[in-house]
Amino acid sequence: MKKILFALVIFVLGFSTANLFAGGEKETEDKMVIRVAEQVPNLITPGSWDGQAFSMNSSIYEYLLEMDAETGELHPSLATEWSTEDGKVWTFKLRQGVKFHNGSSFTSEDVKFTLERTQDPDLGHLKAQDFSIIERIDTPDDHTVIITLKSVRPTFMYQLTDYNMAILSSEYDYGKLGESAPMGTGPFKLSQLVPKESALLVKNPEYWEPSLPKAEELRIYFVADMEASVSLLEAGQVDVVPQVSPVIARRLTDAAGFKVVSPYQEHRFVALVADREPFSNNDVRLAMKYCIDPQILARACQGVLGETFFYNETPILNRLAQFKEITFRGRNIEKAKEHLAKAGYPKGLTVELYYASDHPYGSELAQTLKELAAPAGINLDLKGFPRDIYLSQYWLNAPMSITGWGVRVDPSMLLTLAYHSEGPWNESHMNDTEVDDLIDSIASEVDNAKRQSYYDRLQELFVERGTVLNIQVPYLVAMRSNVQDYRQPATMLCQYKYTYIE
Amino acid sequence: MEFFKRFSKRLGFMFVTLAVMSFIIFLLVEIMPGDVAQTVLGQSATPESLKALREAMGLNDPIMVRYFRWAGGILKGDLGESFYMRGVQISSIFWRRVGHSIVLALTALLFYVPLSLFFGVVAGVKAGKFTDSVISFFGLATMALPEFVSGVILITIFSVSLKILPITSVIPIGENLWQNLKILVLPALSITFVMFGYVSRMQRSSMINVMNSDYVRAAILKGMPRGYVIFRHALKNALLPSITIIGMNMGWLFGGLIVVETLFGFPGLGSLTMSAIKTRDIPLIEACVLFITLVFVVSTFITDMLYAYLNPRIRFKGGEA
Repeated sequence: MKKILFALVIFVLGFSTANLFAGGEKETEDKMVIRVAEQVPNLITPGSWDGQAFSMNSSIYEYLLEMDAETGELHPSLATEWSTEDGKVWTFKLRQGVKFHNGSSFTSEDVKFTLERTQDPDLGHLKAQDFSIIERIDTPDDHTVIITLKSVRPTFMYQLTDYNMAILSSEYDYGKLGESAPMGTGPFKLSQLVPKESALLVKNPEYWEPSLPKAEELRIYFVADMEASVSLLEAGQVDVVPQVSPVIARRLTDAAGFKVVSPYQEHRFVALVADREPFSNNDVRLAMKYCIDPQILARACQGVLGETFFYNETPILNRLAQFKEITFRGRNIEKAKEHLAKAGYPKGLTVELYYASDHPYGSELAQTLKELAAPAGINLDLKGFPRDIYLSQYWLNAPMSITGWGVRVDPSMLLTLAYHSEGPWNESHMNDTEVDDLIDSIASEVDNAKRQSYYDRLQELFVERGTVLNIQVPYLVAMRSNVQDYRQPATMLCQYKYTYIE
Repeated sequence: MEFFKRFSKRLGFMFVTLAVMSFIIFLLVEIMPGDVAQTVLGQSATPESLKALREAMGLNDPIMVRYFRWAGGILKGDLGESFYMRGVQISSIFWRRVGHSIVLALTALLFYVPLSLFFGVVAGVKAGKFTDSVISFFGLATMALPEFVSGVILITIFSVSLKILPITSVIPIGENLWQNLKILVLPALSITFVMFGYVSRMQRSSMINVMNSDYVRAAILKGMPRGYVIFRHALKNALLPSITIIGMNMGWLFGGLIVVETLFGFPGLGSLTMSAIKTRDIPLIEACVLFITLVFVVSTFITDMLYAYLNPRIRFKGGEA
């Protein structure tokens, strides 16, 4: 017994010592490798994907059009040209010589397959409604696609930049393979996948742009915990950590060797539900609007108002060209109380505020809104839930809610979905004929100036009697200082093909 | 013969427990709030897309149909397909993680069992003296520290200050656990912190009892060497309570290290269970929880048998401990 114990102790000590002195980091490799820690451990299924594993999706797949991360302009990608005369019939010329990762050629049939897949009832494609506008798809040759819409949609091309609209191979059996071997035409192809742990993507040697991607490999680690992801970054084991919290961003910004970028703003819509008490009365909505101090909200989110944090009372992002500057009403508790009294609540009121407590900024915003509203007599009863429970059980059915919304590069898509009385995700139950008419006019107006005039009027209406507080928070990406040319436009799709390590 | 009867009885009981537990686990996962279809599809989900996905996952079938389909698959060794990662077989994720957890558990056992037993014996033999006080204080202090506290302390010392161990236990792409054994050290030490107090204190009190028993006193009075009496006569009996504690913690050690694995980012069964719960990946949750239950049941069975083997009163009379 004594001998066994002695042997065990010796083994343990020897093992520990060997490990302790085994050294930390391995030698740097010669090839250029970008290492990313993603917090979402899922695979990607275009069409039925909640759009969070951006690094993988945007590196393996490609889209017809690509958005410039700086200017927001659309550039050719798998489509080299696109045109329409009336906004109804669209012609796309496709890039020639492009191959999928399995060696098959990219043709107009793949585009047709991808678009028709949206209408497959068994699939339940997330873009089914957006693309139900398509009347007919013609493929006169392998490199031309003509799409005829049921009605005029001058901004149809923006729909093709949605992250669920990656061009898929018509030869890939999605029913059988699922996403066990994702395959596209992108700059990187999947070499090795350990589900819920890591993915190794290697340079696609047959990529249509020979000078890209700049890196040889993209190594993606799925690390569910944000703190653990940041620890990996600080330890030099990864180069990029997307979607960090503002507190971590501030810490890393001050540390040597790291930087934090904010490629775009995301919406956090506070919905004041229009067909249910108390917000069915516009005076209560106005009272709530008078309680808001954007400066305090920005501070709660560790942001800087006007630089990394924005606020307005319309669904349009401040940074978009369609945004109309309207003087902010300012925080005024007395006016808030007046509106409450006028609405029949002289002694104040209580309303339940539902939100996803595990979604970035959710809890911070809910707490701050509660504090801001309290002096006016509005007691917000906070109801925070995990995101899936919030979305499946409370969203669209709550008197007041905070919901994260991704960017729609064409705001008319967002308006149709969320503020039209017939929109599928009309979370604030907006039902205003004038608003509906303006949204319809925006969606179908070919003339840019006229369309902007509709946008202007719509935003004025939202300030007068709208049902939303539009809090715009930064999407933050932390990285090592030597990571160069990180691009992520408002489509949310990372463009790692340009990124390199200095 | 008595021992064999006891073995058969306990083995049968183990299978009944597993069968009952499989149904309870299935029911608990069923009533768990949340919806895997909603989790997969996210905010953009439409009623049509949710319906299509639920249909594809077989979630619309009656509960008993789903239970027997699942249980039948498990009996055939088929863990099914992940709901969250469509097209991915659970076995391709699961067994890799089980392997990692076994290696971590064995490493932790190698760390804490000899240490705890050794210092427990020393404290028991030197009861009431300075050595006992130091060991007891250290045991209490480590026992009182939750894993996430001791883990952070260890990270601060070994990773941040000394920079000799990795801060997280991630296996680099293209490598395996055996090429990265150092990632086991901090999680194993963290577990050692938790278990050292329990086991060493149990060993100490058991050792004090045995050392005060008549047969040990008689052996010492007969002039037998003290070390011989301690290790040859006293230790065998004094080990019984410690073995029970170690055995009862095997389930936790092999699958319940959720806090430790999450803190260190270790790719084991605990972090997989956590991830499965977060994503409402029902078949994966069921596989993980059933496996953890299996480890608990089997380790209890083994402990029971070992206990019976080491205790002649149970071995020969078939009495209950």
